[in-house]
Amino acid sequence: MRQRITFFHRNEHGIEPTSLEVGDRSISGPDLVVAREHRVTLAVEELPAELQELLRSSNELYIRWSTPRALESLGPWTSRLPPGLHAFYTPQKGEVLESLRLCTQLRTVFGDIDCSSPAESFTTLPNDRFSHSTAYQYFHTLKSLSNFTTYVEQYACVPKEKCKERVEELANAVSLDLSYDAISHVVKITAVWPEAHQTLSINSHPDHRTEVGILTPDTPPHLEPHELGVTGLLTVLGEDTKPSPVLFSFPARHKDTESSFSSTFLKPWGLHPTMQLHIDSSKPPSDDVRCSLHAYLTLPRFIFADKYQLNDELFLSSKNLTALRYMTQPVDLEAPDYAMKLWGSSVLLELQPPAGQDAEPWTAEIPLHLRYMSPAAGGYTNIDVPSPAVFWACTAEDGTQFPNSPFDRVNLGYDGLFGPRTSFWHVKPAPEGDGSLMHQIRVPVLDLDMSKWISTGTSAVVLLGFAFVVFKLLSVYLKTGYGSQKSAKETQKKKQ
Amino acid sequence: MATALSGLISRPIPLFTAATLLRAGMLLYGLWQDANSPLKYTDIDYLVFTDAARFTFSPSSSSSSLSSLSPYTRETYRYTPLLAWLLWPTTLPGTFWFSSGKALFAAADLLAGYLITLILQRHMRMPADRACRFASIWLLNPMVATISTRGSSEGLMGVLVTALLWAVLERRVALAGVLLGLGVHFKIYPFIYAPAVVWWMDAERMGTSPSSRPQLVTKRSSGREKKKGEVRSSQTKTAQTSTLQQKITAFITPQRIQLTLVSLATFLGLNAAMYAAYGTPFLTHTFLHHVTRIDHRHNFSPYNVLLYLTSASSSSSPHLLGSSPAPLSSSTSPPSFRIESVAFVPQLLLSTVLIPLVGAKRDLPATMLAQTFAFVTFNKVCTSQYFLWYMVLLPLYLPTSSLLHRPARGLAALALWVAAQALWLQQGYALEFLGRSTFAPGLWAASLAFFLVNCWILGVVVEDIGGASA
Repeated sequence: MRQRITFFHRNEHGIEPTSLEVGDRSISGPDLVVAREHRVTLAVEELPAELQELLRSSNELYIRWSTPRALESLGPWTSRLPPGLHAFYTPQKGEVLESLRLCTQLRTVFGDIDCSSPAESFTTLPNDRFSHSTAYQYFHTLKSLSNFTTYVEQYACVPKEKCKERVEELANAVSLDLSYDAISHVVKITAVWPEAHQTLSINSHPDHRTEVGILTPDTPPHLEPHELGVTGLLTVLGEDTKPSPVLFSFPARHKDTESSFSSTFLKPWGLHPTMQLHIDSSKPPSDDVRCSLHAYLTLPRFIFADKYQLNDELFLSSKNLTALRYMTQPVDLEAPDYAMKLWGSSVLLELQPPAGQDAEPWTAEIPLHLRYMSPAAGGYTNIDVPSPAVFWACTAEDGTQFPNSPFDRVNLGYDGLFGPRTSFWHVKPAPEGDGSLMHQIRVPVLDLDMSKWISTGTSAVVLLGFAFVVFKLLSVYLKTGYGSQKSAKETQKKKQ
Repeated sequence: MATALSGLISRPIPLFTAATLLRAGMLLYGLWQDANSPLKYTDIDYLVFTDAARFTFSPSSSSSSLSSLSPYTRETYRYTPLLAWLLWPTTLPGTFWFSSGKALFAAADLLAGYLITLILQRHMRMPADRACRFASIWLLNPMVATISTRGSSEGLMGVLVTALLWAVLERRVALAGVLLGLGVHFKIYPFIYAPAVVWWMDAERMGTSPSSRPQLVTKRSSGREKKKGEVRSSQTKTAQTSTLQQKITAFITPQRIQLTLVSLATFLGLNAAMYAAYGTPFLTHTFLHHVTRIDHRHNFSPYNVLLYLTSASSSSSPHLLGSSPAPLSSSTSPPSFRIESVAFVPQLLLSTVLIPLVGAKRDLPATMLAQTFAFVTFNKVCTSQYFLWYMVLLPLYLPTSSLLHRPARGLAALALWVAAQALWLQQGYALEFLGRSTFAPGLWAASLAFFLVNCWILGVVVEDIGGASA
């Protein structure tokens, strides 16, 4: 097991290097105003047996969780995802997709999520674009890590009180990543916390290598435009006797823009709700490279976009959209929610900012459709729709590569839909009224309280109508039999 | 003005010119609207058809180009490949060719209208001007013209059904068989006409009976002055004396055999050919889809809300917990009698047995209207496109209808039919666009009211066929 703890602070929140106390296997110092990343790297053998079994049947497994709270980002952790639990999975060759193992483990670790097996619940990712995508995708609108916290406490904290405290801090985390691939054969667990006052006091276990960094943005000489520069202090506990000052730069695929967006559903919602994105600037982050603005949506299965509707230029243009760049295939356009098991669909839309030079605020509208949902008491069901990730995708200059950087996240769902030279400039999500990035909308469903009348009422009315028509037919038959032209004619004549 | 209008629709050339201009105008307007407004005039179905035609004929537009060319590559294409073939010209470049399918559907409307005038004049002995006036109910109907110029294929069904009726009345049995087989292959529902046509085609009428008066009957000029009672008693006597075997032998006429064989051969031959060309997707999408579909989305059918309820309770599976809505409680446990699982019984009993049995020999066109009306009214799914299925037969029924002879009754029927739909549409709007939960009682009650109105109208049609009211 290895640990890497990185604190990142603004320049004005700097601390004196001399105020840090490096002990035998510990570091402590004054309180910090920092964002924090904690990365634990584990060998597969260090995991609970059932997880080992799961990973041995996996070729790649990436789990990404993102908080539904709208928070500022700081430091190199700028990549964004729609809030909720994302899973990207490639099984080992020969592993059957019908296996319940992955979903069972996801439920054990993260709580009651709606997943039965990769075959039934996961969607297929395209393998024709770029090779670095996994084969399957899953998403669930998981709002908190409470179940994960309990799980980790049970397995990792048997005797230690201190550990419990640390684990419980996960409740405040902004994001959680679990990454495994069969080549590295290790599991990396990374959690990021937002900027806050934090006590600096870290003790390390003798068997665990622990590296602690306290960093702040800086501009080293020869910094490339696609790079991020930092300066600060690094300490390897148990090896270093004092923090070593560092100044370095690394390529950053994800960056923040100054602009922000908010998303809302236009009222009335109806069965075809429109998600409106309000973006406060139409200006691309860079004038040097070609950038286009995108929205990446993960839509739980009760809500979907219609790719045929998003095919007409006039229509797209009227919504300030340029084109549908990607949508999970296939998306059933007819099935009700309750007859489906797939998690839903992901959508990548290119937005069409106004052409003017000024950075003006503007809106784009994404037309969506609701499926019928199970009847419920009261006639309404509330659903959570995650706010999208909105970013400018910019093509870096020729030759720019994004090799593995110490802080970049990969396998986020949308990064695999772009070429390797694309960088992502994220537009900050501004919260709705309650500070949440999960939109709650109310779906009209059949009122269960009424349902007992439906069956008998329908039967009675249908039988009544049927009996009436049969009665009419019978009276005609009894008067004149099958009738024939001859008899009918004669009937008429008789009347004349 | 009124006389000018009446003059316009009383002569074939002005009537068909007006019908053509109406459609041409709507088609052009549609092109303008599609090019200038994000709200499209063109029906979604037309995009499905034309996409399917492209998938059938051009490999480049298919994303999975390795798979063979098939219209079923297009999701929600649930029709025979013949339709995609017919629309081959729409795959040619340019708006003109793209719209050629709508022109084809509109032309089908006009042909159906022409066949209506033909049937009225030749088989209902109506003068040309009156026949034109009745045909104008179809030809100048804005709803019909809108549906076909928006690109819905129902006009093709109109022409197939009127052509079938025309061929039958002309005693062109082989042609009738081909049209029947083709119609069923195209859209399944015309199979309901088979029993009516077969029952109508008795030996007497077809002029092949060894018994007397074939000429008189086929020429519809029977001068016999037998009283009704006598006819009946003689019929009863014959019935009593003839054995079952004799009855069966009398029923099996060469024409009936020919019709059955030709229609079956056409239907099965087309299916075999399409299966050979497109395999299982053809069967799945064209036919099996109608068996497995849930029909939960709101539509005019009286079964609609019930189907939503029962499909949801049968799908709720135990492991879907958490965020998914709570499993349905015991209040939706299966009722002792589930009408929706036997919905086809009243529907098929009326449309394929009782109505043809009582009506076909009296008035074949009106019987076919009543059958279609019953089929649509009692169907598990019903949208306004289905109304066209019976509307095409309306000009053939109205001349003898009490709805026309007794204007108060006719106006009441029209008003109730429109009012029940308006009520439903209002509830549907509140659900679909305002998000109000109007499934029950609103939509449910409206669909049942519409159903009862339809049953009453059906009763009137049946009465009219029986000649009981006049």
